[in-house]
Order: sequence, then structure tokens, then C-alpha cells
Amino acid sequence: MDRRHFLRSITATGVAAGTTATAGCLGALGDSGAEGTILDPPETDLSEAIHPSYGDEMPEFTAPDPITGEEVSTGQFEGERAFLWTSFYTNCPDGVCPALILRLRRVQARAAEQGYGDEAAFLPLTFDPERDTAEVLQEYAGQQGVDLDAGNWHFLRPESYEAGQELMMDNFGLKIEKTDGEQYENLAYAFPHYGLILLVNKQGIVERAYPKGPSTDIEAIVDDFERVVTA
Amino acid sequence: MRRRDLIAGIASLGALGGAGAVATGNIPATIDGEDAPEPVDPVTIQTIDAPGSRDGEMTLPAPDRPTFVDFFGTWCPPCAEQMPDLVEAHDRLGDEVLFVSVTTEDVGGAVSEETVADWWTDHDGDWLVAADTSAELAARLNVGGYPSARAIDTTGRVRWATSGTHTTEEFVAGIERALDS
Repeated sequence: MDRRHFLRSITATGVAAGTTATAGCLGALGDSGAEGTILDPPETDLSEAIHPSYGDEMPEFTAPDPITGEEVSTGQFEGERAFLWTSFYTNCPDGVCPALILRLRRVQARAAEQGYGDEAAFLPLTFDPERDTAEVLQEYAGQQGVDLDAGNWHFLRPESYEAGQELMMDNFGLKIEKTDGEQYENLAYAFPHYGLILLVNKQGIVERAYPKGPSTDIEAIVDDFERVVTA
Repeated sequence: MRRRDLIAGIASLGALGGAGAVATGNIPATIDGEDAPEPVDPVTIQTIDAPGSRDGEMTLPAPDRPTFVDFFGTWCPPCAEQMPDLVEAHDRLGDEVLFVSVTTEDVGGAVSEETVADWWTDHDGDWLVAADTSAELAARLNVGGYPSARAIDTTGRVRWATSGTHTTEEFVAGIERALDS
């Protein structure tokens, strides 16, 4: 491990006491965590959760990036990039989705600052393709401070609402369902959903599942990602 | 992947509750002196030319006085809705605290400074407004949604952390926590 990384690990430990206290250098050697992982096991064991968690293989699926026109597969980054995945929709009325996107985009900004942007990818998946068109997603990116020009950010947009529902259930065990949006002004329908963020290493193994993504400490995610991507 | 029942997922969420409070960095709404948090490392961000503001730089939290930060977005309807209450809170406490509104939008890129300045004018903003374009300040203050607010005491410790809209009285009470300590 290089010295710069070591110093950063120490700093991280100070900042985010609980999460990183045991995840410093030993974790980076990979001798006490699950097979194929860089980080030590998380403080809270989520292995019984319905969604993928620490040590699991990231489910492999493909969805279009409507802005670049590419088909993006979660498997295509193997050996090249660590990534963060989450799911959201731009009409999210309660601030949960901007909080999720903020966490990804802060890691993106940090990656650019530290020079590992080409080893990182960000894959927020919309389960509301009917409203989240390429144009809407592009505008949303600007509002949320996302850098689309960095070439490492891919909004994933399933072909249809049903395809998105199936993708979310089959790969993440998460049920997506439209609910009446009447309680919100100018919103025909909403989606109560689970604010999950996944951190996946370059081998396609989940290093962290953050089930309370919208409130998870941003710097803890930044530090976890940095340890994984620079390992 | 493994198909486990939803109950398991919910159970593990429940387990996160208490223990997660530290690990996830959730900041309690009230922070007593005994559990004083660590001071927030200052970040320098750009201020925007708009009513009550000017084109320049500022360091937050302020090194020598209490700071109140409102995180907003020009795209965020609830942020607009609470502006009258922020205006009133600013009228009452603007002399005692460094009052600033911060957007994490891509100001100067996808979102122009004029867009922010126009929004600011339309909603009667009359204090410093700044752009945290790398979201570094938002990260240090662990913003979870918009609007969010933080009242920080003169030593740089967060004394009130909240998200969602608030009344004038709530803002005033929150800011006063940072003045008392």
C-alpha cells in the first residue's frame, strides 16, 4: 500500500469513527474480509437483507444510457472500474433522490480531484422511464451538479416501466410500484422506494450496501470508495 | 441472487436504527454540550452576485462567528416555499450569525449564475448566496435532501441539523442553539 493511501486511511478513521475504525490497512490487504473484497465486513451485518450486500456478486444486467445512447452493462466494468449503483427518479417529491444523487456526485467530484475518475463509474438507475427521458435526465444532471462530461456517469433507463420493475425485483429484490401522487402538488404518481446505494469493486463484488443511502455519511462513502478504487 | 423474504430485509433495517446512528453520521436534531461533535473543517466556496450577495469567495463555517447555512436548489419547490420564513429569520438574527444560502447545482456550468441570481431576486433573498459546485461543503455537513439547514457555533461545531421546510420560529430556535453554545 502506498503511503498516501495509508495517511488517508488514518484520516478517514478519525472522521467517520464507527464505519472505518476497523477498515484501515488490514482491510486493504484483504485478509480478514469476504473473498474478493477489499474492505473489512461492515459494522452492521446485512447478509440477511433481500438486496445484495457485502461479499455478494453484483447482479449483472444491461440497460440503456439514454444520454450517450450506449447499452451499459454492470459487467462491463470488471477489471477496470469500481462503481456506485443506486435507483431513483427525477420526480421524487421528498428529497430522498437528490440525497442519493448527491452522494454519488460527491464521490465523482472527489474522483476527479484525486485523479481516479477513469477507474470509477456511477450508475443511477431510474425506475420511471416514462417521465425520465434523456432530456429530463440531462437537465437533472445540471441541477444536481453531476459532471456528464467526465465520461464515468451513466444514467440507466430501462426500456419501459415494466422492464424497470422486473429489473429491480429480479436483481435487487426491490419492489417498485406507482402510488397515487395526489398528496403532492403537480405529481400524478410517486414511488415509495428503498434508498439503497451499492459500492462494487473492480472485480464486480459488492463491498458495501448502504441501505439508508440518503442519510449515510457522505464522507464515509467517499472514503470507502477511495479505499476500494485505489487498492 | 438469493431470494430471501422481505421480512429479513426489514429486520436488518431495524437493526440499523441505534447502532447506525453513529456509523451513518446522522446528526441528531439537538446536540448537547456533552456530546459535542467535532468541528467541521472549513471549505472555501464561491459567492454569487445577487441581492445581498456579491461575486467572491467565502470560507464556511466562518472561523470567528456562528454560521447558518441553508442548502437549496433553484429546481426545488419546497426551497422556494420556505424563503419567506428564511427572510424573516434573517431579519431577526442576521446581525448575530453569518447567514448564507448554498446551492450544490452546477453553477457556472449547466446552471448559469444568472439563473441563481434571478431565483434569488424572485424569492426576496437578501443575504449571501454561494455555490458549492464540488459538493464538498454539502459532504462535510452531510446534507440529506433539500432544503437542509445547519446552524454552526463559533467553534465550528454543528448545533442544529435539519432537513425539510421550517417556520420562522423553528429557524430562529435552531439558530439560537448555535448562539448559546
